[in-house]
Amino acid sequence: MNSILADGSPGKRSSDGERYPALSDRHGWVSYVFIAAGFLALVPILSTHRVTDFMIFCIFALSFDVLYGFMGRLSFGHILYLGTGAYAAGLFIRYVDKNPVAAVLLGVAAAVATGMIIGPIVVRTTGACFALINLAFNQIGFFLVLSPLREFTNGEDGLGVHAAQIGFFNTSSPSVMFWFVFACLLAVFYLLRQLTRSPYGLMVRCINENESRVRFLGYNTFFYKWVTFVIASGVAGLAGTLTTLNYKYVNPNVMDVHSNVGVIFACLIGGAGNLYGALLGGVIYMIISNTLPRYIQSWEMFLGISLLLIVFKFRQGVWGYLGDLWSYYQRKREQGKS
Amino acid sequence: MLKIDNINVSYGHAKVLHDVSLEIRHGEMGFIIGRNGAGKTTLLKSIIGLLTPWSGSILFQGQAVVGLSPERLSLAGIRYVGQEKKVFASLTVRENLEIAAYACQEPVEKAIDRITGFYPKMKKFLDTKAGLLSGGQRQILLVGRALVGTPKLLLIDEPTQGLAAIVIEDINDIMSDLKQQVSALIVEQNLAMVNRLADRVFVLKEGKIVSEIDDKSMMSDTRKLEEYV
Amino acid sequence: MIYTIMYGFTIGAILYFISIGLSLTFGTMRVINFAHTLIYTLGVYFLVTFMAALNGHIVLSGVLAVLCVIPVSYLIERFVIRKLYGQSVDYTFIATFAISLIGVDLIKRIWGVNPYPLSDPIGTYLTFFDFTFPVYRVLIIGIAIVLFFALEWFFRRSIIGKIVAASLDDEDGVRCLGVNVKRYFSIVFVLGSVLAALGGVLYAPISSIQPYMGHSILLLAFAVVIVGGMGNLRGTFVAAFALGMVMSVTARYWSQGAEVMVFIVMGVVLIFKPLDL
Repeated sequence: MNSILADGSPGKRSSDGERYPALSDRHGWVSYVFIAAGFLALVPILSTHRVTDFMIFCIFALSFDVLYGFMGRLSFGHILYLGTGAYAAGLFIRYVDKNPVAAVLLGVAAAVATGMIIGPIVVRTTGACFALINLAFNQIGFFLVLSPLREFTNGEDGLGVHAAQIGFFNTSSPSVMFWFVFACLLAVFYLLRQLTRSPYGLMVRCINENESRVRFLGYNTFFYKWVTFVIASGVAGLAGTLTTLNYKYVNPNVMDVHSNVGVIFACLIGGAGNLYGALLGGVIYMIISNTLPRYIQSWEMFLGISLLLIVFKFRQGVWGYLGDLWSYYQRKREQGKS
Repeated sequence: MLKIDNINVSYGHAKVLHDVSLEIRHGEMGFIIGRNGAGKTTLLKSIIGLLTPWSGSILFQGQAVVGLSPERLSLAGIRYVGQEKKVFASLTVRENLEIAAYACQEPVEKAIDRITGFYPKMKKFLDTKAGLLSGGQRQILLVGRALVGTPKLLLIDEPTQGLAAIVIEDINDIMSDLKQQVSALIVEQNLAMVNRLADRVFVLKEGKIVSEIDDKSMMSDTRKLEEYV
Repeated sequence: MIYTIMYGFTIGAILYFISIGLSLTFGTMRVINFAHTLIYTLGVYFLVTFMAALNGHIVLSGVLAVLCVIPVSYLIERFVIRKLYGQSVDYTFIATFAISLIGVDLIKRIWGVNPYPLSDPIGTYLTFFDFTFPVYRVLIIGIAIVLFFALEWFFRRSIIGKIVAASLDDEDGVRCLGVNVKRYFSIVFVLGSVLAALGGVLYAPISSIQPYMGHSILLLAFAVVIVGGMGNLRGTFVAAFALGMVMSVTARYWSQGAEVMVFIVMGVVLIFKPLDL
C-alpha cells in the first residue's frame, strides 16, 4: 500500500492544500489534554449550556470532516443524519421509553441505518453530483418530518421531549449534559483518530487521491466509501441525539438544508482533512454564529463573503495555516543549526 | 527553429524532466526515443504549453514561449498531436477540419484538399462521424488537422502506436512527404521509422537526455539504436 | 386530467429553460453553478422593477430583464468560475453557493422579503374541443419547443456550437488547434444564464415571487440534468417535460408531494443508471 501514496510522509501537503496530521505521531495523549482544556476554558466565558452546544456542533463537524476531509466528498445534505438521529431519539423518548441512553443508541442506529440505505446510491457519484444528491435526500427527509409524518412529529411545531433520569445521568442538569457531551466528544475524537490512522483510514485516503489506481489494485473501493459514509452518518446521528437531549425539543429545523453551510464553513475555516481543524472550525463557527447576528443584520452575506475569501485565499484553513507556520519555524531552526 | 534550454518539469510533486535541452533546426525532423515513462510525452506537452516547466527556457523562432497557452502557440505555428489519438468524435471529419480551419482562418476546402492529397481514401469519410474511424484513419485525420494553416513545427507523439503494419507504411509515406515542408519533433518507438526519416535523434532516459545522435550512419544501424531504448 | 397534463407541460417548459444552462455548464466545465438560479431569481426581480418603471409593459420589461442579467452572469463567470473550474469542483460549488447567499441577501435588501404578485399578462383563453386553456401557458410551451429546435440548429450547424461540441469531446485538442475555448465556454455560460432568466420571466406571472424562489428550482433543475444526462440537450428536453409531468400528476393526488416525487424519481434513476462524473 505504501507504493500508492506518492508521498506517505506525515505532514505532506496534497495538491488541494489539504493537510495530513503532522503532529499526530508525536503528540498522542497531549492533544486530548489540550482539547479538554480548551473546552473547559470556554465555560467561564460563555455558559455551560453554550459550550455544550459548541461541543455538539464539533461532533457534527468531525463527522463532516470524515466525509469531506478524508474521503474528499463534499456533501450538501449531511445534516439529514443529524436530524435523523435527533428525531429517532426524540420520538423514542416521547412514545416508547424515557431512557436517554437507549434513546442515544437508537438515534445513532437510525442514522447508521439511513446511511446504509442511502449510501450505495450516493457514494457512486463525486463532486457536485454528490453534493447535490445529498442535498436532495436532505430535502426529502425535511419534507417527511414536516408533512407526512406530522402526526408523530408534530410537524413545524416540533416535539417537546423530556427524558427520565437514569442513575446520575440527569439530562435536565446543564453540568451533567456538559460532561456527557464532553465524554462523547473525546470518545468520538479518539475513535476517529484511530480509524483514520488505521490501514482502513490509509485506504480511504488513497481512494481520495486516486480511486482508479486503488481499484486496479483489486480493492473494492465502493465498500470502503460506503463504510466511511455510514460512519459519518452515525457520528452525525450521535450529534443529533445529543441535540435533542440538550434542548429537550426537536423540530424540522434540526434538518434544515440551509444549516449545512455552517458545517461546511466550519471545516473550511478550520482546515479539512485532519480532525483538529474540524474542532477548531466548529468552535469558530459557533462563536461567529452566536455573536454576529446580534451586530450584523445580513449575516448570511457575511458568511457568503467569508466563504469566497476562504476559497480564494485561505484554503488550508486555520489549522493548515498554523501547520505552515510550524514547518516554517522548524526549517528556520534547522537552517540556524547548520 | 526550436531551442529548449535546461527545462525542468514536474507533475505535482514528481519531477519528470531534469535539465532537458535540445535543438531542432529549420526543416529538420527530430525524433525522441526512449523507454515508457522516460518523459517523452511530458516533453512534448511542455513545448505546446499543456504543461509548464518551472525552470529553463524554450525558444521558438527566437521567441520565449514558456508560459504561453496552447492556443497562442498553435496560432504561432506549433501543432501538437497527442498519443491518445483523440478526435472530435461526435463531429464529422469535415467538421473536425472546419474547426481547425476556423481557428487559422483558412478556407476549409484547402484543408480538405490537403488531406485528400496525401490520403485520397479520406474523401469517402468526409461526412462520417470521426468517432467511427479506425485508428489509422484517426491518426491521418489528426495530422491533417494539424497541418491546417501551414504550421512551422509539428509535435507528434507516437504516431504509429497501436496501428497495423500496412497503416504504418501509409503514415511513413505521409511523413516522408512532410519532411521538406515542416520541422518536426516526433516521439517514436518504431525504430524503422526513425531510421528512415530522422535528421537527429534524442534519447531520453528517466527524464534526461542521455544522448543526441546526428550521425546518419549511427541512425541507420537499428541495433545500435536499440541499445539506447 | 387534461389540465394536469397542460400544467405538467408548462412546468416542464420552465424546467427546460433553466436546466439547459446547468446542463451545458456542467458538460463543458464540469461544474454545477449554484448561482445559476440566482440569475433566474434576479431576472424575475428585474422584471418587477422594469414593470414598475415602464408602467406594466410586460414584453419590454421581460426583454430588458433578460438582457440585464448578462453582465451579472459574465462577471460571475469571469471572476469566479473561470478561476476555479480547472482546479476543483468542490471549491467552485462552494464559491457559487457563497455568491448565491450574497445575492439572495442583496435581493432581500433591495426588493424586500415580501412576495410580489404578478398576474397572467394575457388573460385570454383558447377553446379547444370543450377545454379552455390559458393562452399564456400554451405560449410558454410553444417557446420551449421553438427553443429546442433553435438549440439543435445552433449546436449542429453554427461554428460556435461545433466548437462547444468538440470541446465536450476533447478540450485540449480544441485548444491545440488555436481556439480559445474559455471564451466559448463563457458564451455558453452566459447563454445558459439568459435562458434561465427567460424561464424566470415567463414563469413569474404564474408563480410566487420571493427571494428564495431559486433554491427549490435549483434542485428540480438538477434532477432534470441528472435524469436527462449532463451535456445532453435532447435528454434535458425530454427529462424536463417528463419530470414536469411527474410533478403535475403527483400534485393532483398528493398536493405537497410534488417536489419530493421528483427526487424519488431521480434516486431511482440513479440506482439503475449510476452516474460517472
